[in-house]
Amino acid sequence: MSSRYLVLEDGTVLKGKGFGHDRASYGEVVFSTGMGGYQEGLTDPSFCGQILVFSYPLIGNYGIKKEFNQSDAGAQVSGVVVSEYCDVPSPMYGGEPLGNLLEESKVPGISGIDTRSLVIKIRNSGTLRGAIVSDEESIPETLEQLRSKPLPSDSNLVSRVSCKKGTYTDSGKDITVGILDCGVKRSIVSELSSRFNVRTFPFDSTAQEITDSKIDGLLISNGPGNPAHPDLMRTSVRTISDLSSVMPLMGICFGSQIIALALGGSTYKMKFGHRGSNQPVRFDGRVYITSQNHGYAVDAESLEGTDLTVNQVNLNDGTVEGVIHRDLPVFTTQYHPESSPGPKDTVFLFDRFGKMMEGKI
Amino acid sequence: MKDPYKKLMVIGSGPIIIGQAAEFDFSGSQACKSIMEEGYPTVLVNSNPATIQTDIDMADSVYIEPLQADMIEKIIIKEGVDGILAGMGGQTALNLCSELAENGALERHGVKLLGTQPEAIAMSEDRELFKEAMERIGEPVPLSRSVHSIAEAKKAVEIIGRYPVLIRPAYTLGGTGGGIAYNEAELEEICARGLAYSRIHQVLIEESVLGWKEYEYEVMRDGDDNCIIICNMENLDAMGIHTGESIVCAPCLTLSDEDHQRLRTASIKVIRTLGIEGGCNVQFALDPKTKEYRLIEVNPRVSRSSALASKATGYPIARISAKIAVGYTLDEVPNKITGNTCAAFEPALDYVVVKIPRWPFDKFRTVDRHLGTQMKSTGEIMAIGRNFEEALLKGIRSLEIGVNYLEPQNFTDEELMDELEEATDRRMFAIADALRRGMRPEEIADIVKWDVFFVRKIENIINMEKRLKSEKMTDALMEEAKRMGFADSTIADLTGRKAAEVRAERKRMGIVPTYKMVDTCAAEFAAVTPYFYSTYGNGCESVPNKKNKRVVIIGGGPIRIGQGIEFDYCCVHGVMALQDAGVEAVMINNNPETVSTDFDISDRLYFEPLTLEDVLDVIEKEEADGVIVQYGGQTSVNLAVDLEKALKGSRTKILGTDPDDMDIAEDRRRFSELMNKLGIKQPESGTGYSFQEAKDIAERIGYPVLVRPSYVLGGRAMEIVYCEDELRTYVETAVKVSKNHPILIDKYLNEAIEVDVDLVADGKDVFIGGMMEHVEYAGVHSGDATMVLPPFTLSGEIIDRMKKISRDVALALKIKGLMNLQLAIKDGEVWMIEANPRSSRTVPFISKATGIPLAKVGTRVMLGESLKKQGYGSGYKEIDHFAVKASVFPFLKLVGVDSILTPEMKSTGEVMGIDKDFHTAYYKAMIAAGNKLPMSGGVYITVNDQDKPEILESARTLTDLGFTVYATKGTSTFLRKNGVNTTTVFRVSENQKPNALGLMREGKINMVINTPSMKSGARRDGYMMRRVAVELEIPFLTTANGANAAVGAIKVARGREMTVHSLKEFSE
Repeated sequence: MSSRYLVLEDGTVLKGKGFGHDRASYGEVVFSTGMGGYQEGLTDPSFCGQILVFSYPLIGNYGIKKEFNQSDAGAQVSGVVVSEYCDVPSPMYGGEPLGNLLEESKVPGISGIDTRSLVIKIRNSGTLRGAIVSDEESIPETLEQLRSKPLPSDSNLVSRVSCKKGTYTDSGKDITVGILDCGVKRSIVSELSSRFNVRTFPFDSTAQEITDSKIDGLLISNGPGNPAHPDLMRTSVRTISDLSSVMPLMGICFGSQIIALALGGSTYKMKFGHRGSNQPVRFDGRVYITSQNHGYAVDAESLEGTDLTVNQVNLNDGTVEGVIHRDLPVFTTQYHPESSPGPKDTVFLFDRFGKMMEGKI
Repeated sequence: MKDPYKKLMVIGSGPIIIGQAAEFDFSGSQACKSIMEEGYPTVLVNSNPATIQTDIDMADSVYIEPLQADMIEKIIIKEGVDGILAGMGGQTALNLCSELAENGALERHGVKLLGTQPEAIAMSEDRELFKEAMERIGEPVPLSRSVHSIAEAKKAVEIIGRYPVLIRPAYTLGGTGGGIAYNEAELEEICARGLAYSRIHQVLIEESVLGWKEYEYEVMRDGDDNCIIICNMENLDAMGIHTGESIVCAPCLTLSDEDHQRLRTASIKVIRTLGIEGGCNVQFALDPKTKEYRLIEVNPRVSRSSALASKATGYPIARISAKIAVGYTLDEVPNKITGNTCAAFEPALDYVVVKIPRWPFDKFRTVDRHLGTQMKSTGEIMAIGRNFEEALLKGIRSLEIGVNYLEPQNFTDEELMDELEEATDRRMFAIADALRRGMRPEEIADIVKWDVFFVRKIENIINMEKRLKSEKMTDALMEEAKRMGFADSTIADLTGRKAAEVRAERKRMGIVPTYKMVDTCAAEFAAVTPYFYSTYGNGCESVPNKKNKRVVIIGGGPIRIGQGIEFDYCCVHGVMALQDAGVEAVMINNNPETVSTDFDISDRLYFEPLTLEDVLDVIEKEEADGVIVQYGGQTSVNLAVDLEKALKGSRTKILGTDPDDMDIAEDRRRFSELMNKLGIKQPESGTGYSFQEAKDIAERIGYPVLVRPSYVLGGRAMEIVYCEDELRTYVETAVKVSKNHPILIDKYLNEAIEVDVDLVADGKDVFIGGMMEHVEYAGVHSGDATMVLPPFTLSGEIIDRMKKISRDVALALKIKGLMNLQLAIKDGEVWMIEANPRSSRTVPFISKATGIPLAKVGTRVMLGESLKKQGYGSGYKEIDHFAVKASVFPFLKLVGVDSILTPEMKSTGEVMGIDKDFHTAYYKAMIAAGNKLPMSGGVYITVNDQDKPEILESARTLTDLGFTVYATKGTSTFLRKNGVNTTTVFRVSENQKPNALGLMREGKINMVINTPSMKSGARRDGYMMRRVAVELEIPFLTTANGANAAVGAIKVARGREMTVHSLKEFSE
């Protein structure tokens, strides 16, 4: 395997071996502490524009299986950084190596990196811009570009991963839920479609388009980048602002931030975010272990004077994990109740949303 | 919030046995600390003196008493206990609490069980209740039936529909008595055994999931129903091999997130349904083809697996379980490792943990080495690496089995296939050899029922071996090999060089280990607790505090026969003493079960193999001021000389006795010279390089002689031989004597009394902590012997002579720190058997019995503080009570081991009986060790001629107490002549009825007194009787002293109620 380099904006150059697709790639370098579920992570559209570092040192052990994909478009990350990549996986799930997925999705990977040291660096300095390159000679130039290039999240990443046209799946249920697709994970769709008929909408759909389609409630999905991007303030945020009193709303992750923005709150970028499957959340006097993947968060203070209150908080750092509307059937989770990867402790929230849509809550 | 209790009790797990090792000292100690810091008055009871938890200051009152329901009840009454933590002392404590609940004692005294309730315990322990509960919540369990007889068992198999079936006895430890039956004959045999072992005479006949993958989940639940998973673990061996016998890795490496979440969700459902509060272990079988799973077992308490999970993740399961038990919820308890998060989270690992069991087959060569559903291992090691290969190779060299990597084993092709097909302790070596011989990983995986993923990891290691053998060494190759976990010595072996050269070369290349932190959170938060493992990468996280003095203590490695928890006790005391003296204590060890590897014991903990390389690397990283090698048993002593050589010229000193002086004690020739100089008698001895030489020596010094190979330590393969024929057998078949492997021959002092002495010396003064007289004659390994502190038959004059000898030897060897002496007394003379310039197995026993913390005193001496300054000076600690140490043996679990006590150690653990008089202390020790001394019934006596007068008084006492005395002709004639009424029976070898075997089986003989005789018929009789006695758990006494002590104890026990005493009562 050929040499590959991870170049960081602070001048760090880490040499490793290449796997997956061989091309130069650029993104925000973030880490996830989840020990399994690498395929679900890599195919999660929320990672769009990011180079994902796995803190677990062995990646690819059990191969890949199509069913684990969270996006039809395959891997969504800009790059993958691992300590050890397993190219001949356990046959448990068919034995297809992770490299195939990256190759198909044209995503470069780099292995042989001391990922723990890298995680500590990111923890201390905050998320960094980085690039994966194969050509050693291009490193100085890459470094210069890294420092001058805008952050990936400066552009509207949602437009890259949202569906271009809505879809409708009739599962013969009584209730029809809409999804405002900001880069929705497949597991959210399948949690919903096991309960309801599902209609999806592109992120920039108007409130009118959504109300016209006669749905019972709307879920605002996960998605990549900055929720307060001007393009989104003009589209998704405005739409939700108009819909909040019209139908029940549930927001997941990015969707939680959109709802907070739509109802007068604000968001901020975290130092290095929450990515992993072990984040404890206090909710209704109980503790739930949740799956998370976010670099932005809702500013709790900004909700003062709005109709939203924080009803879920992160036990580790006190950040907002969920808000609820004082009067209306509107609630959000900063984490992923649909899991994949991660624990299923809070999957009951989809039932709760169903009750809201039935008008029972 | 915490609940109000007046006084809480923690029950320990008793002696170390197979299936219940040091992990419960770890959990019990954590639990005590955890509730003491909440301000609850705490009582601790355990019969095992070698534990940290029985330290006098671990609880407000510490009781070393037999773990029997009546004794516990007495302590409850005496102390006014109103709450018990049942889940900290393994199956022993759980069973006791069930018994106390059933017999009404808890209700009588208003005692609550904290945490998991009796109903929950019953639901998880009783197979039928468990099955019903799981069926209610739709969790699949293997098809099964509980049965109480063999006939019912056969019916159960009909319902299941096929062999093989598993047989699991209810309420036993480590699967005792269980097995796999492939046909009806096996079913009958295993069921008979299983029914006998089960406390409620119940076994489970179960659908076989052999060959499925085995996964374990460690779950926590609090009173608010919050549930978290601490860790999941993957058994490399498929279902069919006990998880305690399997190589295990954490976290699971071959499980998709989807399947992991299915098992995680199921675990949580289970713990909620059972209503368990605290830690719990859930075991699953998963069919790798269909992904169907079955729930196999739930342990509603902390366990061996939870100890492993605690060490593997840094999450202190026992500590948090104790907090939950007193009423806290997970979010109310801070996470001590990060210091700024709480206990309600799931640890994220960023390394690979490998656990490998340590088996006693090096000691018990006659035991069947096959692995199955019954535990045979005595201990385990854990290794941490950034990749699997590294963790596995570190693990192998942590085992201390004389092999430092996957060395070729010279199996024949046939043997190799056998090893692959039927797992033994050598399985991983067989896999390596199979790969070397060109078998494909898939082929091997198919036979051994491993995921080929793991076989390929071993293949990576084999490929690296090939590269090292064939390629020119480069920086890149060296780095790759080190990253894969290859030891310098392995690289040296493969490249034909010396380990020191490889070490020097790689250091020249700048390839040195870095140390990473175990922080529960994969570096997401900055952690404050310094718990490290080595790897090869960049970014070293261990930053020694150079302002303070730093001393490294080398631990004792895995628990094995001959090296038990006692050495961990000494290490922990060493750590405490260093810290008291303001010195930073740095611990190196690899045993996940122990207190020494608890992350908040030392100032810095390194979880590492204990080889010269690994230890030196830590010392160099730490730039330590000193190293203590006296506390880790033979493991650390064996490193002393090499360490000193390697550390020459560095700032690091070996503390205490000079390694060269230690060597004098270890080297027979040098030691004999010293003894001659000091005028101390030693049994005559010689070294034989052939049978002829051995024979000449034996004839010169006279039979019987004690023989052993020169190249193994710790009493391994040591035997007493009585005649030339036996010597020939020993020399030619047992040890294969040659020029390179001579045998050592010592005069065996027949019927001598043996005494163990433990002392601390500082070069000027010698303080004797205790002298322990063995109940059995010299020739029984001191680890197995019953010992009495203080001596109970020796005269003051002999004791004075022993004091003088101890003092002379300690001063001559310039001992600074601890030393143990083994002396023998015969015909009024004191003989030197051996001197061990280190802490011994009996140090914790003496410390508990006398209240003097010998290991701490020794540590301060090593730091330069004299005995005088510490207030001890020269002297001998007199006590006015008695403490008796008795040993427990694995004969029930290891079929094929003769239960006669010999110079080769066989016991796994020990108990202490302590009371005001000898007989009561002896009685307590006996029952604590599981010897059910009968209060009535029959006693069988057959003793050799010298012993006949010795046991006369005891026989008389027994008949006075109403026992029926059975005896063979010779003994019977003698006893009758002296006025003792006996019933004469035939010798076993006479093959007529009535004989002892029949009477034992009929329940008429409840104790056997049988001292060995040289007649071969008698020896065979003895062997047969011992086997039956082990099986039926009948006390079997093989010495006149032992018999007399036992009879005295029976008399005392018959005469009055036993009382309980806390350790403080003896130290006041």
